[in-house]
Amino acid sequence: MAQPFPYTYYACDCYDNNKPQTVAEAAAEEERDLDPRHPRSNYSLYPLEHLLYCEDCQQIRCSRCVTEETLNWYCPSCLFEVPSSVVKSDGNRCTRNCFNCPVCTSPMTTNSLDTSGDNAAPYTLACPYCKWSTVEIDIEFEKMNGISGQLAKIANGGRQIPTQKERDKERERRKELEARFRDRSALSPSEDSPTMDTWREDHAPSRDDLFSNLSAFYKTQIETTTASNPFSHSDINFSSPSAYSRIMNMYQSTNKRNKRDKPSPVREAASTLEGLSIHDPSTDVAAIERIKTEGWATTLSPSQRHAQTNPNIRFDTELRPLATLLCTKRSKRCRSCRHILSKPESKITSTRYKIKVLALEHIPRLSIRALPSYFTNPTQPPTPAAPHTPYNALKSGIPTHFLLHLSNPLFDPIRVTLATPSTTPGKVQSRITILCPKFEVGANTDVWDDALASSLSPIKHASQDLNQIEAGKIWDRGRNWTSVIVEVIPGFLDNVPGSGLGPGLGEKFALDEKKKKAKQEGEDTDDELDEDEDVLEIPIFVRIEFEADVNAEERSLGDSRGNKNEREKREEAFWTVVGVGRIAAV
Amino acid sequence: MADVVLRGDLHSTRPVPSSSGKEVTPTSISIGRCTVISAGSVIKPPCRMSRGQTHYYPIKIGDNVFVGPQCTISAISISSHVYIGANVTIQQFVIIKENVKVLPNTVIPANMVIASGSVVGGQPARVVGEVGEGWGVSGGGAGGGLGVGGGSEEKWVEGGDLRELVRSIK
Repeated sequence: MAQPFPYTYYACDCYDNNKPQTVAEAAAEEERDLDPRHPRSNYSLYPLEHLLYCEDCQQIRCSRCVTEETLNWYCPSCLFEVPSSVVKSDGNRCTRNCFNCPVCTSPMTTNSLDTSGDNAAPYTLACPYCKWSTVEIDIEFEKMNGISGQLAKIANGGRQIPTQKERDKERERRKELEARFRDRSALSPSEDSPTMDTWREDHAPSRDDLFSNLSAFYKTQIETTTASNPFSHSDINFSSPSAYSRIMNMYQSTNKRNKRDKPSPVREAASTLEGLSIHDPSTDVAAIERIKTEGWATTLSPSQRHAQTNPNIRFDTELRPLATLLCTKRSKRCRSCRHILSKPESKITSTRYKIKVLALEHIPRLSIRALPSYFTNPTQPPTPAAPHTPYNALKSGIPTHFLLHLSNPLFDPIRVTLATPSTTPGKVQSRITILCPKFEVGANTDVWDDALASSLSPIKHASQDLNQIEAGKIWDRGRNWTSVIVEVIPGFLDNVPGSGLGPGLGEKFALDEKKKKAKQEGEDTDDELDEDEDVLEIPIFVRIEFEADVNAEERSLGDSRGNKNEREKREEAFWTVVGVGRIAAV
Repeated sequence: MADVVLRGDLHSTRPVPSSSGKEVTPTSISIGRCTVISAGSVIKPPCRMSRGQTHYYPIKIGDNVFVGPQCTISAISISSHVYIGANVTIQQFVIIKENVKVLPNTVIPANMVIASGSVVGGQPARVVGEVGEGWGVSGGGAGGGLGVGGGSEEKWVEGGDLRELVRSIK
């Protein structure tokens, strides 16, 4: 998700933890700096709000190192819960009146076509955004509710769709016809087939017809091959995956038991009645003709086609309204210790959580701000009208100061050590210096403590003259936060494509130097900057130390001599990436 | 903030029975605590044509809602802890539940219901993601440090408690 500058991402090290490592590799891993541009970093960097924290493992947990369990399904449009049995039988779509527009995906409304103002039948589904409606595919409804049930019975153009039972009956009838026809043709082979065309329908069988034919065909095939099997059930429902797995198990068991007599091979479908669809080139010709006459406007975009239940359609007359996809509520568990990290209340309308362990409450929050220029440049008068710092246009080569702000959510004071590579990784190298890499952050106490004990923080809100940019000193501190200065010298964007400006003389020299260096190092000498190469991101390694109460669980498990006030030393370390801004093209 | 238009005059024309017996003009826009509506936004109650007459319906906005600049909002209800980015158009009778983030430049089509905890974006809007579990939690004791850095406070307050921001404006 694109975030506006400035932002902070936290790295979850779940990938590194899962990798089996040798000692040497682990050592190399220790030395390695986090590269925010590494392709893998894409999947390990998260905003703090998205991270959970496992108290047992004492580690950050991202969405990749938790397992999810679905609590319930609900429709995001009508906010009704859908029982899991319905989800299994009817699929993950709303079975009420919720539909999305097949053209623009916005939710559709049921409108009356009645002009008298009584809201009487017939009704249509209409999109309020793009004005598409079911009138365009000649579908009208008799009732306002139960739209999905009505829609299942009407094909585009108002024709009735047969139900499953009718389909089965129809198939039997045709099979009989076919058999009779075959007998007759065997008797008199010279006779042409006049009956053939009469029962072959004028339109091709629909996708649903083919599917039901095919599933019926395979059902009979499997029945014949496993007829000797005592475990076979005649009433297997082939639409459920559990039945399929049962069949697979049956196959395996029978094969093991009597390897000699192989089951007769399953025949493939050979006719339309058995679910075979043969590609007819005349439909292609017809489609091309139609595009010729009606133009591209009547064809569908790939996304529109893929959203449809039948993705093989081509034209907008074949569109069907889409039943809204369901959403889920999920609980999350730690992958390694199986503790539940978050569990929402099962009620759909409730937004509360039964269990929620956030990283937000265990990890200090880092945030970066540009230092208002009147601090660095005293000659400039402090303008209260907010000198808007252009995060999107950082000037190359000019030292810029940023304020790194750490706030502590823990109830114990922490000692923080920050580390950062001296230059940012990537093609544009910027110099970074954290002026005070080691400092303490006070404990997160009750807000009122601060107000009551005014002697606690005499430094707080000191006059601005005291704040000086000096190495080894913190900038400002409060009850549970401390801020330090980070000096950044943004690197040069060499030869940015699209800027239209060739590199100047001096830049050219620097560029050549760089090229030489790159060649020596065996890197690619590609000067072209990739997308977002000009974004200045600083990887910062944060290590915190604090003393905390030994939690109750460990006390009971561990040594018995531990008294109640025992403190243990804890340490936590993680990488963060701070996005400062975009370096302006010179 | 400046240039905000709240069309409170477009109230419901249907008479509302009140306890005192006389007819009072019903409230057309109700806004919860700590809600910020940025410059240039327009909030207009939704209306519907019925029997040749235009009826306006009351709009309800919950607590800790942030509305970005240059938005046009005709929703029927916006619940608490909702963040609406810049240049968002919310058409009539939209319902937005709790903990929703609307990305900038989104157009939410009329009658859409946005379930809680979703991130929506696009024209027309569709659900593009989910907000993290930490959404709306008031920054784990960030309290004292809020707004210290100056500049854009929006990052601090996204979905969270807006009380400090409201204080800093006043």
